[in-house]
Amino acid sequence: MKKPFALILIGSAMVAGSFVGCSSKPSEEELKQLNDLKAEVTSLEKGIAAQQSEKAALLKSIAEKDAQLTQCTKDKETLQQRLKGVQ
Amino acid sequence: MKYIIRLTIIAALVSVFVFSSFAQEQMTKEAWQNQITEMTTKRNDLKNQFAGLQKEVSDLQKQDAEKTQALKQCQEDLTSGQQEAPFVANLDAIDARLNELSRLSNQDLLARKAEVDSVQNWINEAEKNPLSAIQKYQDRIKDQQNRLDALKKTIADIEGQATPTYTVGTWAKDRDCLWNIAKKPKIYDNAFLWPKIWQGNRDQIKNPDVIHQGQKLKIPAKDALTKEEKSAVRKYWSKKNAQVPAEKP
Repeated sequence: MKKPFALILIGSAMVAGSFVGCSSKPSEEELKQLNDLKAEVTSLEKGIAAQQSEKAALLKSIAEKDAQLTQCTKDKETLQQRLKGVQ
Repeated sequence: MKYIIRLTIIAALVSVFVFSSFAQEQMTKEAWQNQITEMTTKRNDLKNQFAGLQKEVSDLQKQDAEKTQALKQCQEDLTSGQQEAPFVANLDAIDARLNELSRLSNQDLLARKAEVDSVQNWINEAEKNPLSAIQKYQDRIKDQQNRLDALKKTIADIEGQATPTYTVGTWAKDRDCLWNIAKKPKIYDNAFLWPKIWQGNRDQIKNPDVIHQGQKLKIPAKDALTKEEKSAVRKYWSKKNAQVPAEKP
């Protein structure tokens, strides 16, 4: 009674093992393709971060120059008025 | 025999477990395919995003260059035809003098009080220049005025501490007039030095015959009358004699 039980157990284990072990796997070349793709994605993410940083710096610089231009225009007007007053 | 069977079963189970665990660590073709699809989609999205950002950055760079040019032009227009260099040199000279005065000890500062007044004149002149309308110069002049005010305050404090004062009482009770105040032993013990008190308090005594109860008079150091004080006294007496016979101030 015990023998058949043991045989069934061993048999089923071997079948299960072969089932798991025999599923299809990607080739070396395919794995390389995937890794290259991952590297490309990482590189693009870094590039985007750099561009965003440059964009922020440019926006700040433009805002500062806008403020300076406004002040300069205002100064020009005041100066003109003063010169008119002097003449 | 029983042991052999049991051992065999255990060995088989262990080997199946190990084998299946190892097999699970290996990527399946299906999982690879899924990852390839996912990564390709992500890469394409990122490429589009990157291209968009590159264009935005390029446009912003152009804008920034245009603003730089416009600002340069505006600043050139602002100072064209104006004598900016001498104006800036004057401001530099004011700064230099203020720096020098700020480093002096209280006693030295008091001795050079006249220079503080001349710096005030320079600042007043700078304010009259049309270029002082430009914000950066306006700020600079304002800062110089603040520094000068601080020096003036220091001088006033030193003078306040150094010069004793006398609070005028009533005529009825104290008989206070400049002559009598100067005569007091605690003041000069010499009535003829009354012009010193008058000249030392020109800001609050216009007519030496008129002082008011509660006035706080500065008492300058006891000394012979100066040229200016003597001159002021002569003018006072000649004016007085022209009006009425001489009497005590």
